[in-house]
Amino acid sequence: MVKKRKNLVWSIAFILPALSLLFVFLLYPVFEAVKLSFYKWTGIASAKPIFIGLENYKAVFQSPNFWLSMRNALFFMIGGFLILMPLAFLLAKIITSSIRGVKFFKVSYYLPVMLPVTAVGLIWVYMLQPDWGLVNSLLEKVGLSEWAMNWLGTPTLNVVSVVLVNEWIFAGFNMLIFAAGLVSIPQDVYESAKIDGASKFKTLIYITLPLMKESFKVFSVLCICGCLKTFDLMFAMTGGGPNHTSEVPATLLYTEAFSSKNFGRGNAIGVVILVLGMVLSIGLNKAMKSED
Amino acid sequence: MKKLKISDVIFRIFAWFWAIVTLYPLLVTVLCSFKDNNGIYGNMFAFPEKWEFANYKDALLSANMLRAIGNSLLLAISTTLLVVIVGMLASYIFARMKYKFLTPCFMLFMLGVMIPIHTTVIPISRIAANLGGYDKYWMLVLVYTTFQLPQAIFLMTGYIRGISRELDEAAVIDGCSMTQILFKIILPISKPIIATVSIISFVYAYSELIFSVILLSTPDKYPVSRSLMYFKGDFSVRMGPIFASIVLAVLPLTIIYLMFHEKVQAGMLSGSVKG
Repeated sequence: MVKKRKNLVWSIAFILPALSLLFVFLLYPVFEAVKLSFYKWTGIASAKPIFIGLENYKAVFQSPNFWLSMRNALFFMIGGFLILMPLAFLLAKIITSSIRGVKFFKVSYYLPVMLPVTAVGLIWVYMLQPDWGLVNSLLEKVGLSEWAMNWLGTPTLNVVSVVLVNEWIFAGFNMLIFAAGLVSIPQDVYESAKIDGASKFKTLIYITLPLMKESFKVFSVLCICGCLKTFDLMFAMTGGGPNHTSEVPATLLYTEAFSSKNFGRGNAIGVVILVLGMVLSIGLNKAMKSED
Repeated sequence: MKKLKISDVIFRIFAWFWAIVTLYPLLVTVLCSFKDNNGIYGNMFAFPEKWEFANYKDALLSANMLRAIGNSLLLAISTTLLVVIVGMLASYIFARMKYKFLTPCFMLFMLGVMIPIHTTVIPISRIAANLGGYDKYWMLVLVYTTFQLPQAIFLMTGYIRGISRELDEAAVIDGCSMTQILFKIILPISKPIIATVSIISFVYAYSELIFSVILLSTPDKYPVSRSLMYFKGDFSVRMGPIFASIVLAVLPLTIIYLMFHEKVQAGMLSGSVKG
């Protein structure tokens, strides 16, 4: 009996640190964010927040910048499925094949994932620099100088550029997700397909892809939920500019709160990100489970 | 000799193409870090005519990168230690004890995995002001730890559940207490998952940006990500030292990666593929 009681005390003592951190720095802030999204608050400690009901949400939903940021987040998602997915799949094929230098390829492709996003963002800001940057210089060298552009200074093009840099970084990461799927396919399935005379293309369509459903699910969940959370790369490369054209929801939250001192409105954006994120991740997980 | 098919050739060419696309910008960055402005503006991808090693001295000392890297390492190490200790204690209980209140607690952590950190940014800046944690490292470490905890607990609990209970039972017969079982049996077996959690936490805390922007105001306390975004005065126009700063900033993680690439890749993958 004494021992049982002792175990209970230890158990509580062991989960208490984790639980208190969770409450103080994660659950309580979420509660605060929801609450303060109904208030007007300039962020000055002495100024009392004023209750204004749904005004913040109204302002957010009526602001063109918010819809622009949602469109830009959508660009990240489209880029993910159109570019990142096939690219990562191809890279996974490469690193699971038996061509020479596989190890070198695997280590190189993944390298950008390891580096701080701000550092990578900064590297690409200089590579895309319009006057002396690498990309425009290369285009001039191969005689395509009319393709040289102000990549990060032109509306819409700047978002596309950052989306491409994002794929450049994370191709190596998603490659691993697909590689895990590829390796898990038993080798004899391929052998019997070969005996049956299936072409390489047919093997890919009818055997490899269906057997990798799980990897594609994981990719989809990460891609869709991840595009709402982009911040570092956009913040480092454009800061949401010029003139808010490359704002994504998280950078808009930052600008509203910490530059415009509109903390209530910032929180309203935060709650929108939260709700969308939760709905998407729960919905996606449900949808993918019911498919099985 | 086996005949090479066209598709195989294209496959190989693409393999090299992407390796070049990945490495070339990084190589150019390294080259530029040894040049002066004329060398960079004139021809970005040429080898430096005159190697400006002084760029690195300027980056380390005048642009304060030495300090920034030290700061980032300090933040990363403290966060990693705290995540492992706090996470391991809780995971052990979640995996081994059967009290009724543990299930809802565990669910709360799993809920935490889904919360986007950006939602919490504004309230946390407020909490920091109220707790006196503004511009303090302990505040950052606690925030980083909290954001890594749900995932760490998910991974560690899953791992400990996979360890045979017979080991525990044998230890109980030998007279081991609950805490002894944790430290003498569970902890040594859990080394691989501790390594995984450490890698994820370390990389995250080393590179973290938004909270260091919001919670720190003294330039001497800036970690690398924030330092890279605010080059001041002379250093905002001299490109050589800026490129040198970038190289220095990515160096610690690159070295760790090249040394343990298998482990790092496997660890970061398991961090993303949650149930």
